[in-house]
Amino acid sequence: MTDTAMEAAELGKRFGRRGGWGLRHCTFRLPAGRVCAVVGPNGAGKSTLLALAAGLLAPTEGTLTVLGGEPASARARVAFVDQHKPLYPQLTVAETLRMGADLNPGRWDARTAERVVAGGDLDPGKRIRALSGGLRTRVALALALAKRPELLLLDEPMADLDPLARHELMGSLMAQAAEHGTTIVMSSHVVAELEDSCDHLLLVGGGRVRLAGEIDDLLAAHTRVSAPAGTSLAPHTVVTSRTTGRQLSAVLRPAGPLPGDWRAGAPTLEELVLSYLRNPEAPAPTELQETTA
Amino acid sequence: MTALTLPSPAPASRRTRWLLRLHRPALCTWAALVLVLGAALLWLWGPLTDAAAQAWRQYNACGLTARCSYDQAAILRYKDLYQYTTLAVLAVPFLTAAWAGGGLTGRELETGTARLAWTQSVSPVRWLATALTVPAVLVTAGTTLLVWLHRLVWTAGEGRIDTADRWYDILTFYANGPLTVALALAGLVVGALAGLLLRRALAALFTGAVALAALWAAVGTVLPHLWPSVTRVTALGGDGPAGAGITVDEGLVTAGGAHVARPLCGIGAHPSCAEAYARLDAVGYYRDYHPRAHYWPLQLTATGLLAAVTVLLTVAAFWLLRRRTATAAVRRRGTA
Amino acid sequence: MVAYRIDRHSGVATYVQIVQQTKQAIRLNLLRPGDKLPTAREVVEATAINPNTVLKAYRELEREGLVEARRGLGTFVRRSLGAAPADSPLRGELDAWAVRARAAGLEREDVAALFSAVLEQHFAHHAGERAQHEQHEQHEQRDRRDQRDRRDQGGAS
Repeated sequence: MTDTAMEAAELGKRFGRRGGWGLRHCTFRLPAGRVCAVVGPNGAGKSTLLALAAGLLAPTEGTLTVLGGEPASARARVAFVDQHKPLYPQLTVAETLRMGADLNPGRWDARTAERVVAGGDLDPGKRIRALSGGLRTRVALALALAKRPELLLLDEPMADLDPLARHELMGSLMAQAAEHGTTIVMSSHVVAELEDSCDHLLLVGGGRVRLAGEIDDLLAAHTRVSAPAGTSLAPHTVVTSRTTGRQLSAVLRPAGPLPGDWRAGAPTLEELVLSYLRNPEAPAPTELQETTA
Repeated sequence: MTALTLPSPAPASRRTRWLLRLHRPALCTWAALVLVLGAALLWLWGPLTDAAAQAWRQYNACGLTARCSYDQAAILRYKDLYQYTTLAVLAVPFLTAAWAGGGLTGRELETGTARLAWTQSVSPVRWLATALTVPAVLVTAGTTLLVWLHRLVWTAGEGRIDTADRWYDILTFYANGPLTVALALAGLVVGALAGLLLRRALAALFTGAVALAALWAAVGTVLPHLWPSVTRVTALGGDGPAGAGITVDEGLVTAGGAHVARPLCGIGAHPSCAEAYARLDAVGYYRDYHPRAHYWPLQLTATGLLAAVTVLLTVAAFWLLRRRTATAAVRRRGTA
Repeated sequence: MVAYRIDRHSGVATYVQIVQQTKQAIRLNLLRPGDKLPTAREVVEATAINPNTVLKAYRELEREGLVEARRGLGTFVRRSLGAAPADSPLRGELDAWAVRARAAGLEREDVAALFSAVLEQHFAHHAGERAQHEQHEQHEQRDRRDQRDRRDQGGAS
């Protein structure tokens, strides 16, 4: 087994022959066993990246390796939950799960499927078309988890769920990761939703990977500072800075010790993500990506 | 450890079972259509043909007597039902095309359920293979049965019912032979391809049906040229060119032996026509046509041609799907 | 058995919360030597936090000698903590003090503020800060160890 779950090199996907690039110059590595948050604004390329990893789209340029091979040959070991949770509306819940069992021979874990579905008080005889969005999400997640994938790709998995179901299903996902060492990659445009559950970050913006690495490392490499307005921030790498009245506040990557008169603190994950999204020109910390690789 | 269990794709039987389950309404509709249409054709073949033939015998026995008693209703019933069933048999390819575009591929791509299938250890190529093979078998079986029954009906009526369609009447020509089966299969592939291209159920439904109509028109245009026609030359006068069958070309034969178009002048005996013919130095009529003996050669070559087009369209559908989705290919060495 | 409650808005790192709550449970004799800590799977299923966070907390406890991981079995409490079990004289004194504070008209918040001020004064050293400091030294070894630990924990559940 490889210790890399996903690796992209100069990955790009263009839609249509003359269409726009959904994703471009995308290079990162995700070690196996991580729970990775793919965050970024809507339309940033998160769904494209996940669909490429699931083998649902072919890349236009560059390469993407999944579980040590092509996405297409990893199909049986990868599970994917689409943003829109597509399911066959004419099937019942029980039939949907039977289909999962039939089409994933040798991997299916019926107990997991039943447990995830049972948590939602779902009548197995009910047709999918009669289910609410939240219950459909539950069935889609049951299909994905019961496949016992080595890599679980989830596109906006929690969007339709109430807080209670969100907590419960996130717990199920984490349990799967703890028990089987499953690598989980989940996208969201709400960073707070993923903060406690993820240990790896992939920040996508404008079709590029803006930031990639272990969340702890990324947080440790950045500092949030307040200083008097007009202070020069050199030689530190500034991610964003803003002057309000007489105060300058910034998020930066220190190049050395900071002056003692600056007030410095660790940024939260959300602050870090926002600071990169606010400044599209902020350089990605390349040396960080290399050390985690 | 789960990582060590070798992933194996779901066997074809399971994929087939789920395809049939997902399209159960379509399957039931198809079965009902074949049953009802088959029953109608059998009814037509037996009782209705007998009754109509009997009525025609009565009618012909009347001769020129002023009062004639015959079962006119039986004749009309036969004629109507023959027409409806023929049209119904010919509608099958359109139904197949519309369903394949709308229900089989278009809707799956529109709602994203195709993605669901492709992430259940079923590769897109396998998915499409099942989605085409299983319906192809059912469509071939059903359409072949209907065409065979239609041919049975037509044969039973030939020579017994005075107004029965000739073998070369356009609707009967198609409904009596394997060309309709080939059209139904072409419809399946055309529809599926439209669904893959458009990724919209409703748009693919109409596009599939319209594309099949275009294909049918193209086949109809080339069909008379697929087999060498025979030429029949008749003397001037009388009813014009003669020779019953599928006409390819007709006109006048000049004294020099050249074939020229016939001027628009009504029937040949008319004085103005005679004058025009004389000016052209015409000595007779000709007609290039396919006699009855050409029925099977024409049917089979056209079926073969259509089958070849269907194969090309199938290849195009797979190519499109492979290009769009990630496929485990021989490329593997290059990306490693 | 101990059930962890994670407060996302406390400002205290999640793994530190687990460390603190475990120590608290040991201190109050809710966990005694030989008792088994919940597996990572059990903790993350209930709290929806990242498994590595739990493992990090357990490693911290192990490093402090409070617990030990037994391969394939789970993590067990090794020793008790603190000189002040629930029924000690110190507790009695604090109890009496609280009664007096209340009689003097102090509100719950006043008592808490007073108590933490005294706590700050006498126990400035903080487990969380120490752990934060050492996080970087451990980092290189982490990738591999996470994988291994996670399987051990999973197997024990």
